[in-house]
Amino acid sequence: MQTIKNIYKTIYYKLFRLDDRLLLIVAGSIAGICSGLAAVALRLSLESVTELLHPLRHYWWAFVLPAVGALLSSLYLEKVSREGAGHGIPEVIYAVSRYGGLLRLRSSYSRLISSFLTISSGGSAGPEAPVVMSGSAIGSNIAKFLGLNDRQRITLVGCGTAGAIAAIFNAPIAGLVFSIEVLLGEWKFVNIIPIAIAAVAGAQVSQTIIPEQVLFNHQPFKMMVVDILPSLGLAVLTALISVLFTKSLRKLGRIAKKSSLPFWGRVIVGGCAVGAIGSVMPVVLGEGYHFIQSMISGTFSMGFFLTFVAIFAKIFATGMTLGWGGSGGIFAPCLVIGSLTGVVFHKALFFLLPSADIASEGAYALLGMTGLISGVMQAPLTGIFLIVEITGGYETILPLILVSSISCTMSHYIEPASYYLKDLIERGQFMRPGTDARILSDLRLNELVETDYTKVSENMVFRDFIEIIKLSKQNFFPVVEDETDIYKGVIQLSTIRRYALEPGMYDMVFLNQVMDTDVITASLEDDLQDVLDSMDLNNMDTIPVVENDRFVGMIAKTRVLDLYRRELIMQTNIQ
Amino acid sequence: MNYKLLHIFRNTPFGRETLLQSMYFCKTINAYPVVYIPKSDKFLLYFSNDAVQVDLDRSYLNEPETARVHAEQLFESMGIKPMFYEPKNYTASTLPDISTNFDYLCCPRSVSDLSSKIGLGHLGPKVRRIIKHATFPVLISSPVFKPWLSISVFFGGSENAMQSLTLGLKLAMSAGLPLNIYTLTEKKGEEYYRELIRKKDLESLVDQYTAHWYFYGNKAFDTMLYEVPHDSLIVLGAYGHGIIKEILLGSKMEHIQSTVTNNLLITGPNCTISLQ
Repeated sequence: MQTIKNIYKTIYYKLFRLDDRLLLIVAGSIAGICSGLAAVALRLSLESVTELLHPLRHYWWAFVLPAVGALLSSLYLEKVSREGAGHGIPEVIYAVSRYGGLLRLRSSYSRLISSFLTISSGGSAGPEAPVVMSGSAIGSNIAKFLGLNDRQRITLVGCGTAGAIAAIFNAPIAGLVFSIEVLLGEWKFVNIIPIAIAAVAGAQVSQTIIPEQVLFNHQPFKMMVVDILPSLGLAVLTALISVLFTKSLRKLGRIAKKSSLPFWGRVIVGGCAVGAIGSVMPVVLGEGYHFIQSMISGTFSMGFFLTFVAIFAKIFATGMTLGWGGSGGIFAPCLVIGSLTGVVFHKALFFLLPSADIASEGAYALLGMTGLISGVMQAPLTGIFLIVEITGGYETILPLILVSSISCTMSHYIEPASYYLKDLIERGQFMRPGTDARILSDLRLNELVETDYTKVSENMVFRDFIEIIKLSKQNFFPVVEDETDIYKGVIQLSTIRRYALEPGMYDMVFLNQVMDTDVITASLEDDLQDVLDSMDLNNMDTIPVVENDRFVGMIAKTRVLDLYRRELIMQTNIQ
Repeated sequence: MNYKLLHIFRNTPFGRETLLQSMYFCKTINAYPVVYIPKSDKFLLYFSNDAVQVDLDRSYLNEPETARVHAEQLFESMGIKPMFYEPKNYTASTLPDISTNFDYLCCPRSVSDLSSKIGLGHLGPKVRRIIKHATFPVLISSPVFKPWLSISVFFGGSENAMQSLTLGLKLAMSAGLPLNIYTLTEKKGEEYYRELIRKKDLESLVDQYTAHWYFYGNKAFDTMLYEVPHDSLIVLGAYGHGIIKEILLGSKMEHIQSTVTNNLLITGPNCTISLQ
């Protein structure tokens, strides 16, 4: 046993810990490979089960299939893995924001299984968020195993995410960009290299295992100057659809929460609704990659009206799947809705200007996808690079940038927070590393409290107090009850000056007559932000901390500033 | 200092016993019990290098409408001001984050396996992980409320054991109760252990507060356990090994907790005890 320990210590300390960047690169590529494997496993199993269930879709009762899948998924999450259900990515962002990327080991597999059950049965959701969750949890647990610090752990969470996205779409740059833009929110040199390597590792795993299965095959697209103007129109449309999609998802989720149905009842209702829509409009079922492929390649057969209706059907079906208890993400639904929007827009354009020499329907489907991703996730670069990598060239880059930036800006104007961040922001839990809120949340009140204060009795005569002042450097003196030590108030030197300058009053005044009893106090349970707000409001530089009616100490703004700077250096220090 | 103990309340007769035990512990050492009444069957504890999800069994959610009243009655019976904990942050809607900013935590032997609650079963894996990562001592209460009148520290000389000795001294000072130290000599003489505390500048405190320091031969572990008074709080250090390490290396703590019915106060490897 000792020999094994020694070998481990030699490898760990002599090889990896010599250079933390090397350690992150090695650990990051492991995270990328593992998340790539998770992505491939989910994709292959989804394809095989979807194919297996395909013949059953012709039966009249097939509408219950999504309900069965979502029910199994929900039961698995509730009873077996006991995960608090969510969409995954907000949970990862929350962990990065508040807890240095700490994620549970069970998250590395539970969402994969639950989303597999939901999506393979026809639920309208995407496999990307569960794979991201899985990859992030793998990265986080590798960091835990290696005993890395918060900053390094966050980088490995980013590596897992990048590997997952890169493996699904065979798009390493999109993986890198998504990881940094959406999850980590900070472009730092120390993050970029390990995450880029992890993204390449994830994509390579996917290519090695399923080399023949490119997710979206297509012909080269040709977009010209004439397409610029229509692109602007499409950008506005995708922005509006993005806002509608975000609001519908949240609204349907809230309706589900308010309903009196038990969780399994909600899942069945949601699943059956999706199944019923899917029986007349199969485009809403599953992750929808097949339909995206047909739209990109220009073989999508639905007419203008049905395609238009399909946009709203897909939005509704996704809301009923995710809001009512199914498991999965919104990435793939965004792509489907975006491509449907692009197709509808192209059809409308073609109807209005039949002789216009505009690009193909497939090209507009791609632009629509960019617009939706940028609008819903408010991640313009992810939208651009994903499509650039899918198309394999920069021919479409100009309209892509236009659609992406306009859609993102417009949807941000209407809905300031992206879908992933909305809940976190509303709960006050969104804190990027290095930001004011995050630094303050990391400071604990008991670190800030200075306890070295002389307490004085409320029955002390002023003359005795003067003797204490002479020997003390304190400006504040907490006043307590004699017998019980209960806090009664505080004496500030600035407020007792008039008594101090009249020696005749020294023996006539007791401290309980001159103390301030209405000074705002803080408790160790309070949030630092609330305490600081309270100090600002009352124009205080120092606040007494009282716990269970006992004086604990004082918090001074100077002390807060000292620790704030220390924490800021720690969080922003490039190691 | 205002020390606080977090107690996860279970609204059952067994839960009443453990809350009484927590309250007695707090009253004796001048700390405050803070009660968390769970509203969902799981919660998360975020430590510096791990997120431990604690899955509670259904008994923790028993009769939620009377839970608070029952807890308040117990507070009143012990003459303590009721304090309740409400989680501020949630990882998911049904998954609250419970603060780890407490000085003590009361835990049953297992939090997710009903079978090993009342009997002296094995420690649950979650309790082990809490012990491993906690920066505070974990109180594993006896199955039935049992006031303790002395403090017994198991001191084997390790860094963990030194923490537990420091904690024992701290408790003895605040509670004014006699402290006994129990040491298995394991091929080393008594002087070796005395030298260890000398190096940590604890000798004078040990001399001042310790009633007896008992030394036992290497094979007298069970004899030692029997001779610990039944009404004594046992303070010991533990590593919180997982199941694999426990099988490979064995676990003295597991043996102790499954043999004696006393209240146990455990300091894990990340626990730092200060006498100030």
